[in-house]
Amino acid sequence: MNRRKIEENFFKFLMILATLIVVGSLVLILGTVVYKGLPSLNLSMIIKTPSGGFYLGKEGGILNAILGSFSLAGGATILSIIISLPVVLYLNIYARKNSFLAYFTRFSFDVLGGVPSIVYGAFGLTIMLFLGLNVSLLAGIITVALLELPLMARAMDEVVRMVPQELKDASYSLGANKLETAFKVIVRQTLPALMTAVLIAFGRGIGDAASVLFTTGFTDSIPTSLFRPAATLPLAIFFQLGSPIPEVQDRAYAAALILTIVILLISIVTRILKKKFAKHTV
Amino acid sequence: MDKTHISVQNLSIYYDGQPGLRNISVDIPDKKITAIIGPSGCGKSTLLKSFNRLLDEQDKMKIKGTVLVDGEDIYDGKVDVTQIRKKMGLLSQRPQVLPMSIYDNVAYGPRIHNQKDKHKLDKIVQEHLENAGLWEEVKSRLHSPASKLSIGQQQRLCLARGLAVNPEVILGDEPTSALDPISAETIERRFLELKKDYTIVLVTHILRQAKRLADYVVFLYMGHLIEHGPADEFFNKPKYEKTQAYINGQFIVEHAIDRELDLRGTRCPENFDRVRSTLEEMPAEDILKLIVDYEAAINIFAREVDRAGHRVLEATRIGKASWEIVIKKEKPIISFQI
Repeated sequence: MNRRKIEENFFKFLMILATLIVVGSLVLILGTVVYKGLPSLNLSMIIKTPSGGFYLGKEGGILNAILGSFSLAGGATILSIIISLPVVLYLNIYARKNSFLAYFTRFSFDVLGGVPSIVYGAFGLTIMLFLGLNVSLLAGIITVALLELPLMARAMDEVVRMVPQELKDASYSLGANKLETAFKVIVRQTLPALMTAVLIAFGRGIGDAASVLFTTGFTDSIPTSLFRPAATLPLAIFFQLGSPIPEVQDRAYAAALILTIVILLISIVTRILKKKFAKHTV
Repeated sequence: MDKTHISVQNLSIYYDGQPGLRNISVDIPDKKITAIIGPSGCGKSTLLKSFNRLLDEQDKMKIKGTVLVDGEDIYDGKVDVTQIRKKMGLLSQRPQVLPMSIYDNVAYGPRIHNQKDKHKLDKIVQEHLENAGLWEEVKSRLHSPASKLSIGQQQRLCLARGLAVNPEVILGDEPTSALDPISAETIERRFLELKKDYTIVLVTHILRQAKRLADYVVFLYMGHLIEHGPADEFFNKPKYEKTQAYINGQFIVEHAIDRELDLRGTRCPENFDRVRSTLEEMPAEDILKLIVDYEAAINIFAREVDRAGHRVLEATRIGKASWEIVIKKEKPIISFQI
C-alpha cells in the first residue's frame, strides 16, 4: 500500500471513531437514564405532587415540576418567537444585505449564544430586582426567553436567508409589499424549518437548570400564577440527585427519563406537523 | 412609433460602481412583442428588471436616468412601487411558484389587491388559468400544491398568476430556457395570442425565438444599446456590424480606434469637412471614431459616409448629449461627397 492510501485509511478510521463516540455517548446517556430511572418510574410520579417527606423517599411525584417546566419553557418559547421572528424578517427583508446593523445583530446572536446560562440567571435576577419582581414563573419565563432567543433567532435566520431572491421577486412583481411577502410567502415557505428552530430552542429552555435557579425558584405545588414560584424538571433532578438517600437519587433518574421522553414526544409531534406544513413548500 | 407604455431615457445602471447598462434610450412599442437580445452578461435582464423596479431589491445598485411607464417616472421617490409592479407580470427563467396551492397561487395577487369575494376569485382564477392554457389540466386539482406540477405547467401557472393582477405588460426573463421544447412551444404560442391585449417584453438569448416571436428587437452588447428596430428590418437589414455579426453567429469584434474626432459644438458644413479631410488622411482599413452632440447626426453622417464608400460599424449613445459613430475607412475611394 502506498502512502496516500494509508493516509486515507487512517483519517477514515478517525472519522468513523468520532462518529461512534457521538452515537455511543447518546446510547450510553439514554441507557443510563432508562436503566436507573425506569424501576423508579411509576404512575404516581407523573400524576402526584410531592407530599410530605418526598425528599426522604416517601410518597408523591413530580407533577409540579412537569407542569412547571411546560409552562416555563412554553411561555419562554412563545415570548422568544415573538421577538426573534420580527428580527429575522427585518434582517432578511428590510435591512440591506451587508449593512452594519445586520452584521452587528448576527454577531450579537453568536456572542449571546455562547453566554453560559448561569449568566442569564444572574442577569435575570438583576432585571427582576429592577422591575420589582419576586422569584416567580414570569421572571423565569423572561430569563429563559432571553436564553432561547439567540439560538432561535440564529436558526431562523439561517433558514430565511436561504429563501431564493427569485421567490421574493415573484411575490413583489405581483404588487405585494415586503410585509405581505414576509408573512404570506417567506414564513409559509420556511415554516417547517422555523418549527425546527422553535423546537431546538424549546429543548434548550426546558432542559436548563442554571437560569431558573435564582429566577423561578422551586415549589411543591403545581403552578397556578405567573407571579408565584414554579418547579422545573431540571431543578427537581438537581435536588433529588443531591440527596443522600438512594431511593431519591433513583427518582432523579426517573425524572430525567420523563424530561427525555417529553423532548422526544415534542420532536415527534413537530416532525409530523412539519410534514403537514411542508406540503406546499417549493 | 405608436403610443408606448414603457419609455427608457438615458438609463445607466451601475453595479458596485461598475457600469452595467450605459445610456440606454428606447421606446417599447405597445401591444407588440419586443425581444431584448444579446450575449450573456450584456445587461438584458438588468434592463428588463429596471422596468418593474425589481432592481431595487439588489444591493449596491445605482440607477441613473428615467424609465417612464404610462408617462410616469417610476424612479421618482413619490411613486408607489407596488402599483408599478402590478402593471407588469413577470416570468422568470425558472418558474417560481409560491408555496401554496394552484388556486392560491393565482388568487395571491387579486387577494393582495383587495379582491376578497369568493365567487369573483373563482372566476378570476378560472379565467386566467384558461388564458394561460392550463385550466383543462388542473381544474380537478386546484387545491393541490403548485410545486407538484411539471415545470412547464408551473411556468404557465406563473403566467396565469401574473395575468390575474390585470397587468398591461408581460415581462419575460428567458421564460422558456428551463423548459422542455414542447412546454416552450406552448408558452410561445400563448405569447402570440396574448399580444393582442398585452405589451410583451421578452429577454432571450435564442435568436430563433426572437425571430419567431418578436415584432420589435432591442440588441444589447456589453451594456450598450447597439441597435433597435422593427424585427423585419433588424434581421434582414441590420445597420451595424456588431448586429450583423451577432445575427450570423460570428464573433463580435471590438475595433481598436485609430483616430478620434470630437465634433461637439461644431456646425455644418465645418464638421463634414473635418470628417472628410480626416478620412482622406487616414490609411485604408483604419477606424475613425466621431463624437457628435445631436442624435440626427447619426443618420446624416451614416448616409454620407456610406455614400463615400466607407462603413459605419456602429453608432451608440454615450452620454446625455453625445453619440459616437465608429467608421471604417474602406479601400476604393470615390471622393467624399456632401
